[in-house]
Amino acid sequence: MTMASIRTIAFWAAALLFSSCSQQQVESEPEVYSFQVPANFPQPVFDTHNPMSHQGIELGRKLFYDVRLSANNKVSCASCHQPQLAFTDGMQLSKAGVSGTALLRHAPAIFNLAWVNNGLFWDGGSTNLESQVFGPLTAHDEMAQNLYELVDELNAVPAFVSAFQNAFQEPVSSQNVAKALAQFQRSLVSAGSKYDRYRLNQTGGALTSDELAGLMLVRQKCQGCHTGELFTDQGYHNNGIDADFSNTEHEGLYTGRYRISYDLADLGKFKTPSLRNVALTAPYMHDGRFTSLEDVLDHYSAAVKPSATLDARLPASGLNLSAQEKKQIILFLHTLTDLGFTQNPDHHKPQNF
Amino acid sequence: MKRFLTFALAAALFSSCSDDDDNQIVTPVTPGEMSLTLDARIGNEDFALNKDFAVAGQTLNFNKLRYWVSNVVLVDTKGAEYKVPDSYFLMEEVSDLDLSGTINDKMTYPANKRETITLKNIPAGEYKTIKFGIGVDSKYNDNLSLRTGELTIANGMSNIAWMWHSSYLFTSVGGTVKKGADSKAFTAETGLNANYKTVSIDLPTPVNSSTSKGFVLNLDVIKVFDGIDVMANPAINAMTAPLMSTVSTNYATKAIIFGSEAK
Ligand code: HEC
Ligand code: HEC
Repeated sequence: MTMASIRTIAFWAAALLFSSCSQQQVESEPEVYSFQVPANFPQPVFDTHNPMSHQGIELGRKLFYDVRLSANNKVSCASCHQPQLAFTDGMQLSKAGVSGTALLRHAPAIFNLAWVNNGLFWDGGSTNLESQVFGPLTAHDEMAQNLYELVDELNAVPAFVSAFQNAFQEPVSSQNVAKALAQFQRSLVSAGSKYDRYRLNQTGGALTSDELAGLMLVRQKCQGCHTGELFTDQGYHNNGIDADFSNTEHEGLYTGRYRISYDLADLGKFKTPSLRNVALTAPYMHDGRFTSLEDVLDHYSAAVKPSATLDARLPASGLNLSAQEKKQIILFLHTLTDLGFTQNPDHHKPQNF
Repeated sequence: MKRFLTFALAAALFSSCSDDDDNQIVTPVTPGEMSLTLDARIGNEDFALNKDFAVAGQTLNFNKLRYWVSNVVLVDTKGAEYKVPDSYFLMEEVSDLDLSGTINDKMTYPANKRETITLKNIPAGEYKTIKFGIGVDSKYNDNLSLRTGELTIANGMSNIAWMWHSSYLFTSVGGTVKKGADSKAFTAETGLNANYKTVSIDLPTPVNSSTSKGFVLNLDVIKVFDGIDVMANPAINAMTAPLMSTVSTNYATKAIIFGSEAK
């Protein structure tokens, strides 16, 4: 830290001490954002003391794309969560972090997180978006950001100072960074696929006979876990991609949900990802091991590995799908692609920022 | 100087504003101040860092003792409760702590001893019971973006990685344990919502807030390990759930007793 930045910090500490709790007669109140629940979706339940506002979401969007959030000012959240890929990165294990080393897990998609009520991350190790964000911000292999310097850096940008005031009527703070990012991410709703139009009897919603056959197969064979309109039960299952969970390296990273629950029944269980936009989110699984949907279907069909915690919904010998069934399932999975979501300019990097 | 600034800043950044919407606060008539001291001890001796304490055939030498005290409540003789607003306090006795890699690659937390809290704006009254939590209640524990009292993720009493569901460490005590020629480092950490425990201490005689300066409670650190062989279990944390639960219960039911009225 330079002397100048110490001065800046001292100044802001003083500013914070003197102004943060007083009623400020400043700008207008943030405009309440009314979260629209898609007609075919369940009601989301989130109560994180972080009411969504248009200003909060817009600020979160700016932060999401801003490389100032990383130690070397080269990495943003979007380095690993790109909108056109439903906020994944197309990599098996990203090296986009500050350390340049490969992460140990594959970057999951970010959408419909307003419905996530049973833990974030592949093992559910984080409770909600407001707390989760401190993980990537500070992890040495992701953004490695010093949270004090972050506040300093954001305060150096007048547009941010006023954006924080407008969104929270408070100065820049790392807590408000977390809240804004959470609001933006919670606003990312994907419910505009061909499948949704089919469900809602809208024009452009006619499924072909193969797609319909695929839908029926998915309902029978997949929706025990990839449940309902969200195509996930938010639960943790062992879907048979591994059978040996004795590797306890990296603080139990390969043991799945077990490292959170310390319950042997959870060995090798990972969070069920949504199947929405899955045609855009290759490679697949928590370690990105499968490069194509064909590989995924080959796994479920004939390569399931039996173990003590293998989910009862999957026969130890696999689902034994015919070539045609696999093809139909994949055709159906493509109807879950929501280009209106991935191309929505409101979700992309803001202009002139 | 630099360090001091950083921590003054930490206090301002992470705790300057409270987010307390669900406390019903009695408006004090003639508000007063009272102190609450938690005097750390080892049996009858005063607790100290870097000092050998011989206990039950082994020698303990501590390098840190840290825990959150939260949601302080005073109960008056009629049974009415006064909830001290924004009461989240970090109690500690620590040498310089290396917190590198927590929220900053290089960071030292300066040595500190803090056993006393000042409870402000206490309504005048006769109080017979004091209650408080050890740790952080689920509303704040589950949400690191909320601010109240002294809660902060910047002092090493939180875990923003996976093991604790991105939440606070409730208590943390550590040092070295020796038995014969054997010597080991040990730490006992607690956290997770199920281990948030409330302590309730009845005062031997009711205390009048306008004449009394406050209370001293005794925290016997040895009782924190009641029923646990430290030599055999030198690392207590989320991975050792039953031991962590024992330690949490010990803090709440065994380790803290009434000491005296503050002078
Ligand atoms: C270097 C790549 C990288 C960067 C940068 C990154 N992430 Fe991630 N993100 C990941 C990986 C990998 C995971 C999965 C980690 C795990 O499950 O253990 C993940 C998981 C998540 C999840 C959990 C999603 C779910 O459904 O469980 C969210 C939310 C998230 N990141 C948001 C963010 C935000 C916000 C930022 C910026 C502050 C960010 N990420 C920066 C790679 C990255
Ligand atoms: C027993 C529950 C269960 C069943 C049944 C199931 N899955 Fe999965 N699925 C999971 C879990 C859990 C994961 C994540 C596993 C991991 O990453 O280790 C997953 C991952 C996937 C992925 C990768 C998604 C991504 O973003 O990485 C695809 C695609 C997928 N499943 C498709 C299917 C299809 C198609 C079916 C039916 C043929 C099916 N699943 C049946 C639980 C299940």
